[in-house]
Amino acid sequence: MDQPNDTMTLTDRRAFETLAKRLSDEWDELHDGSRWVISVGISECSIAKGAQHTFDHLRLKLEDSGLRYTLRRVGCGGWCWAEPFVTVSGPGLPSILYANVDADRVPDLVSSMQRGIPLFDLAVGVEGDTPHGDLRPLKEHPFFAIQKRVLFENCGVIDPESIEDYIARGGYSSWLKVLHDMSPQDVIEEMKIANVRGRGGAGFPAGIKWESARQARAEPKFVAINSHEGEPNVYKDRRLIESDPHLILEGILIACYAVGAHRGYNYVGGEHVMALARFKKAVQQAVDYGLIGDNVLGTGFDVEVRTRAGGGAYICGEGSALMFSVMGERGQPRTKPPRSVEEGLWRRPTMLNNTESIATVSLVVRNGGDWYAAMGTEKSKGTKLITMQGPLKRLGVVEVEMGANLKDLIFNVYGGMKDGYEFKGIQTGGVSAGALTEDQLDVPVDFDSLTSLGGMLGSGGFVVFDKSVCAVEFARYLQAFNRYESCSKCTPCRLGNPALVEIVDRMRLGSARSTDLMLIEQASKHVIELSLCGLGQVAPMPLLGMIKAYRDEFDAHINGTCPTGTCPMHQTAGMALAADG
Amino acid sequence: MANAAGASGKGVGLAQTVQTSEKDLEQIRELMRTRYPYRDHEEAQELILSACQDVQHLLGWVPHDAAEIIADHLGTTPNRVFGMLTFYADFRTAPPGNHFMLLCHGTACYVGGSQRLIEDLGSRYGIGGDETTADGELTVQIVNGCLGVCDLAPVIQFDHHDYFGHLDVEKFNEAIAEVIKRGPAERHHDTH
Repeated sequence: MDQPNDTMTLTDRRAFETLAKRLSDEWDELHDGSRWVISVGISECSIAKGAQHTFDHLRLKLEDSGLRYTLRRVGCGGWCWAEPFVTVSGPGLPSILYANVDADRVPDLVSSMQRGIPLFDLAVGVEGDTPHGDLRPLKEHPFFAIQKRVLFENCGVIDPESIEDYIARGGYSSWLKVLHDMSPQDVIEEMKIANVRGRGGAGFPAGIKWESARQARAEPKFVAINSHEGEPNVYKDRRLIESDPHLILEGILIACYAVGAHRGYNYVGGEHVMALARFKKAVQQAVDYGLIGDNVLGTGFDVEVRTRAGGGAYICGEGSALMFSVMGERGQPRTKPPRSVEEGLWRRPTMLNNTESIATVSLVVRNGGDWYAAMGTEKSKGTKLITMQGPLKRLGVVEVEMGANLKDLIFNVYGGMKDGYEFKGIQTGGVSAGALTEDQLDVPVDFDSLTSLGGMLGSGGFVVFDKSVCAVEFARYLQAFNRYESCSKCTPCRLGNPALVEIVDRMRLGSARSTDLMLIEQASKHVIELSLCGLGQVAPMPLLGMIKAYRDEFDAHINGTCPTGTCPMHQTAGMALAADG
Repeated sequence: MANAAGASGKGVGLAQTVQTSEKDLEQIRELMRTRYPYRDHEEAQELILSACQDVQHLLGWVPHDAAEIIADHLGTTPNRVFGMLTFYADFRTAPPGNHFMLLCHGTACYVGGSQRLIEDLGSRYGIGGDETTADGELTVQIVNGCLGVCDLAPVIQFDHHDYFGHLDVEKFNEAIAEVIKRGPAERHHDTH
């Protein structure tokens, strides 16, 4: 969509509604089938796979094509396996998703448009309910079949760097509704009805957190969003920010209003360069339109949003560490209470929400808490963004209703194991919980079911591993991660984690003692019970989970053999420790 | 490079010999003046990390002189800035080599075999994470978190934009050779 050169600052509700109507009409006109609309997903992940080259080639080829067209940049749709992807709609054709459109396939794609037919060998499916010839609707494709794309609805559809696109699709209408028609208490009630549970991993009910922030007596108050996402193999939040930054921003604004804060923060991992850039741009656009600032749209409400970059320390995902980091300190957690909601940023009440939680807010306001609560399971409402990695046929971010079956996710949505790989297990809860084995997969993905098996939903990051991966070595990797990321503030975590790595290394080197499993249990108990923060308290969990799931492999190592043959048994310690870098 | 085994130039020694040019420092002063205004001391402190990030994007590392400029501008001490630079894994306080590699060691890359790439770095090039080869060609940072492009696992990124994916040891070495052959990378990058 064309960007106006001079953004008009909106002064009242009517001005916004006029603008929204115009942008929505323009959106419909663009998609009325009279012209070719070609959208290329440009995000950090697709650029890694050459999407910018695809875009540049398309621009050149389309210029000479004689077609009437609009070439657009959109965000990421979550289908990493299909990148670089291009969506094309045109006269007489529905919108078709094309996968793996490398630059050298661009001429084929453009010539198929000139002939008015789909490029069948790259087509994944068509949007909507009606097949087009042999092309089936996307919703019948196994990757999409059980998805419920609510937070991801605009991802891969709108230009993330265009506030106009966001508004055209209904964006900021919730912000207007809240400012004009709802009291802060109304908003909190709606969040309670929705029963959104915090997506950072702990699953604490957001509505209750909002209420305590509202009731905190000290002023000023702040809202802070945790977009740090430093966990390995979890990238849902950065894709969401890269693809629909205004969705997060609108949630922050509404949260500020509800709890009585006049400043919101978004803390984004410093290594997520594109997410940072797009979020900052989104804030600037909203400021330019007068949706953020003093006396927003004449309502008398003042609000400011600050973007803060992290520095690559996993610990900064912990609430108090995050706040120290925002305040320009080393991110080392402190003892709680006082809780952040009583004493957070600059020792003021600060409400901290996860990116995925805050993304639900404008949708809950727009559609009602009941709408949200109708999705998911009894105790885990709504949808969940999932990232699943490993030797699977299709990788990416999916959004499913809470309670989706884990086995269905692995073997249908993600396509099952790649040829030549045999399923061994699945690591759950990022680096904070145990692995599940093949006989445990028939389980709903929600907050409580996975925990009961020794796994964890956490932030929705799963890693499937195959039979060539040694359980002991994998456990060592996970333990070493937590050792590296320990902030070193408290002794049980600072010394306990290296000790655990050392014991596992003895096993990998074939010099384990018969008492080592008992020693692991004792040392873990120490770390879990005596560490200051959540990171320390779960640091040994993946190791313990791995022992529980693959006890026979640990026993074999103690007896001097590595069943998968990957451990450097009977080699020098120097070789085995080279992995530390 | 194969002869470099065991002779890892950790870059620490380099830091003492490398002078930051006055042009670079002026660029950083300019960056502070134009991009880092603040209204109060609280806001100034909030900007320390971002300022360090921006300087590193410009120079590839954060020299001592630059840390002093940041501290001066934001009304704090070089000690405070250095405390951040040494705590947060993103930062380098020594100049990188001609090429800078991020080697993703997230779980997906691990499962795909990134461990073997790290072992190869040690045995073939004589370096581990946060180290530079003796010939100054290559600095490697092992990413403990995740580059977020798991579809390409195991994956490395050169000089902030160039990705090589689905690596085994052989492809890994081919990628390194290819990038070094191109000559030193463009140093300056956009700030965010």
